[in-house]
Amino acid sequence: MNLPAKLREMASWHTMSPLLVFLAMLLTVSVLNSAYLGPLGISIVTASAAPILLVALGQAMVLNIGSIDLSNAAISLLGSILLALALPSLGIGSLLAILLLLTLIGAINGAIVAYTQVPSFALTLGTLGILQTAALVASGAETIYVSENRELVTMFYTYKLANAPLTFWIGVAVAVLYWFVLRFTVLGQNMTAVGKNETGAIFSAVPNRLVKIVTFAISGFTGGLAGLSIVAQAGSASTSGLGSNLLLPGIAAALVGGTSISGGLTNPINVVFGALTVAFVPIAIQAIGAGAEAQSLVYGIFIILVVALTTARTRDAVIK
Amino acid sequence: MQDHLSKIWKGPIGLIASIAVLILLFSVLNPRFASVENLQNVLFQVSVPLIILVGTSMVILMGSIDLSAQGVMGAAGMTWILLSPNTRLEIDLGIWAWVAALGLGLLLGLATGVIYAKLRVPSFVVTLGTWYVGLGIGIILYGNGMLPSLTDEALARWPTRLTLGLPNSFWLAAFVAVAGALVMQFTHLGRGILAIGNNELIARSSGLPVSLMKVSVFGLAGLLSALAGILATMQLGSGSPDIGNGQLFTVIPAAVIGGTALSGGEGGMMRSTLGVFLLIILNNGLVLAGINPDYQSGVFGAILIVAIVAVAWPERSRLKVAK
Repeated sequence: MNLPAKLREMASWHTMSPLLVFLAMLLTVSVLNSAYLGPLGISIVTASAAPILLVALGQAMVLNIGSIDLSNAAISLLGSILLALALPSLGIGSLLAILLLLTLIGAINGAIVAYTQVPSFALTLGTLGILQTAALVASGAETIYVSENRELVTMFYTYKLANAPLTFWIGVAVAVLYWFVLRFTVLGQNMTAVGKNETGAIFSAVPNRLVKIVTFAISGFTGGLAGLSIVAQAGSASTSGLGSNLLLPGIAAALVGGTSISGGLTNPINVVFGALTVAFVPIAIQAIGAGAEAQSLVYGIFIILVVALTTARTRDAVIK
Repeated sequence: MQDHLSKIWKGPIGLIASIAVLILLFSVLNPRFASVENLQNVLFQVSVPLIILVGTSMVILMGSIDLSAQGVMGAAGMTWILLSPNTRLEIDLGIWAWVAALGLGLLLGLATGVIYAKLRVPSFVVTLGTWYVGLGIGIILYGNGMLPSLTDEALARWPTRLTLGLPNSFWLAAFVAVAGALVMQFTHLGRGILAIGNNELIARSSGLPVSLMKVSVFGLAGLLSALAGILATMQLGSGSPDIGNGQLFTVIPAAVIGGTALSGGEGGMMRSTLGVFLLIILNNGLVLAGINPDYQSGVFGAILIVAIVAVAWPERSRLKVAK
């Protein structure tokens, strides 16, 4: 086989694999226990996939520029707590204000990465700590129930389209939007350029600092939407309840969705399948008949396996 | 001048000075801080993160990252306590409990290393996976049974018992740290780790057994995480898969504050050790000063940010690529 054909084959395997992995999982479950694929099963999977998907989309955008955002799940948790606190008195306006605030937090992350040139991994680990404390202090380490105006947000969960809650469809819409941005806008192409080869991008006059600030701001904004989906589903928010553990599933969903951890490669639409797959793992484990204790173990093996299968390898590249 | 300042900040002098200032400040805020009991307490708290840090530092110096410590700790801690005298099972394997738990950690580490070096999966992803696998093993071992607590008084007391005025936990950790520093300074492996971290391609073309070294370093890191898991279980007196919770948050900032570059090839074991001391003293002092423990992760996070910015500041340039 000549080289171009080989490359094409690799590329198509890479594009299709998230969907194939998801279908394989679906098939396994349907053979073992088809009861999980009814309308109820679909609504459960898509509901638990929604916050994972939104966090993963922000993460995928950041991974695409070659950075990582460890703070975005903490951003969404803080967002859900602020939303639950502000909703009774301020109504739907609070949602916009909080989304704006979280976008700003993301932009600050991006600005520090861009201008002080610190590794995003370490910086966002630091912001993660600060945001965790902020969430604990804001909530007083208690569960905040939305006492009034509850239906303003819970309708995003109760309203279902093809058995999937609206929160999931928001995720899908955001995925399509981000795909469009990456594929057809100068901004998106600049992001991918920074991720593929930052030095080259700088020499080509790509505004790399602006690109980083915007990308981290996007991650903050999408994290805010994830926060909305948490409150919509639970009707409450707390630092230990629903949505308090989104960081690793979010990264896993982005990776299983074919996003490269070294940058320059992502397809937000595939991240949808990545998130569905990650949300499906607990159900698949039950369908196979293993206990819920096995969930972490399977997650771990799964992340390694999927990335080992889909990662692009070139002979001389240094893998860090 | 800027150059000079950055050298001072990165060298141990800046760190030792910061630690001295903290000790002074906290002693004024609460006289109990400077008591012998509290200093022994600080050394007790330093031991577990210090042991993990020796392995993690080697991995970071090599230019990779290791997130797996908390998971491996859970797996090894649960293995150890279930095979030692405990309230759940009647088995007491004695020394073999140690062998089994340390062996499990070594195995997890070696598997991580092989997947990273041979299958060429980025270390961030593999160790994220190993974290979950280890946690999963811990959770499965824990099962739905009752809490396994140590029944052997001598074992349960060992970590806090004093030898020459210092707690045994700390002696163990200090031994590991000194051994780690010697390995980094005087062995082929130690020099090789720095060479790989500086420039892997050159290290490879100079004939260094890069893959073998990577596998060995991850194996060693797994072994040390397992040891930390056993020690933490012994300190707590009962087993839990979450025994390592929060350690990542101490260990990585400590390495960075100690001047270990996350890009690899730069830093040292002793400076990382000072980093752990700084964080633990800070935490201990804040608690004694009456500050809500909820603020701990925020304070650690803020310090991490200040430290990395201070280290990176003199080296900014338009063309520098920071990932």
